[in-house]
Amino acid sequence: MQSESIAVIKLRNTLLVTMPADPDDSTIAALQERTLEAMSQYDVRGLVLDLSKVEILDSYFARTVSETAQMVGLMGGETIIAGMRPSVAITATELGVTLGKTRTVMSVDRALELAGQPAQGVKAR
Amino acid sequence: MNVLGHGEVKITVESDIAVARRAVREVAMQIGFGPTEVARIVTAASELSRNVHKYAGSGVMQWHAIENGSNGGLELRFEDHGPGIADVSEALREGFTTGGGLGMGLPGAKRLMDEMEIQSALGQGTKVVVRKWRRQ
Repeated sequence: MQSESIAVIKLRNTLLVTMPADPDDSTIAALQERTLEAMSQYDVRGLVLDLSKVEILDSYFARTVSETAQMVGLMGGETIIAGMRPSVAITATELGVTLGKTRTVMSVDRALELAGQPAQGVKAR
Repeated sequence: MNVLGHGEVKITVESDIAVARRAVREVAMQIGFGPTEVARIVTAASELSRNVHKYAGSGVMQWHAIENGSNGGLELRFEDHGPGIADVSEALREGFTTGGGLGMGLPGAKRLMDEMEIQSALGQGTKVVVRKWRRQ
């Protein structure tokens, strides 16, 4: 079976990466590499990681997402995770995974509003 | 406890973990589990098949649709002939790992399922059985 594709789109100052529903490990590893390359190539300020299609977040997937956010941080960008499904949030918490201090929001729309703005400049909540 | 339907997925390469997840998702939905229960079962299956691949290299996952009176459920069995677990109670401890992972595989899968049994012998392999019932 072929691995599912990862959509990487540049929107103004932000990179929007949409994860497929149930990616295998090699697709998840490719996400990290492609995302970091695109961050530098497009000279964007932030990354929005859209998890709204994702059906499960196991320990490997969660660790890679959290590491990617750290790496983006080292490169000077901010990561916002958007759209996690309730069933995924419940299950990931019961499994014991966390995403560190990565900012999370309910929807991609909300993430794009916040993306590219310095954190202290965000007033509307 | 009656066994209704069953099937198996051989875990030999990393991408078989995703194959096992898809098989478990399909049967869990057929049995009638809701979305959150399906996510729990599929996540546990992912952690346990990853353990098979990571520690033993290869093995097999078998699924069985089970019944107990009027209650239905799903049983998953993961079997390998890998190095085995030296201390099962330690392996179930939070954060314990010998594989460079986060050590949440076994204890996490146990939390996500209703029942878990582990048989392991050093040098012979490991068998993990988990069950989820539609009504606990």
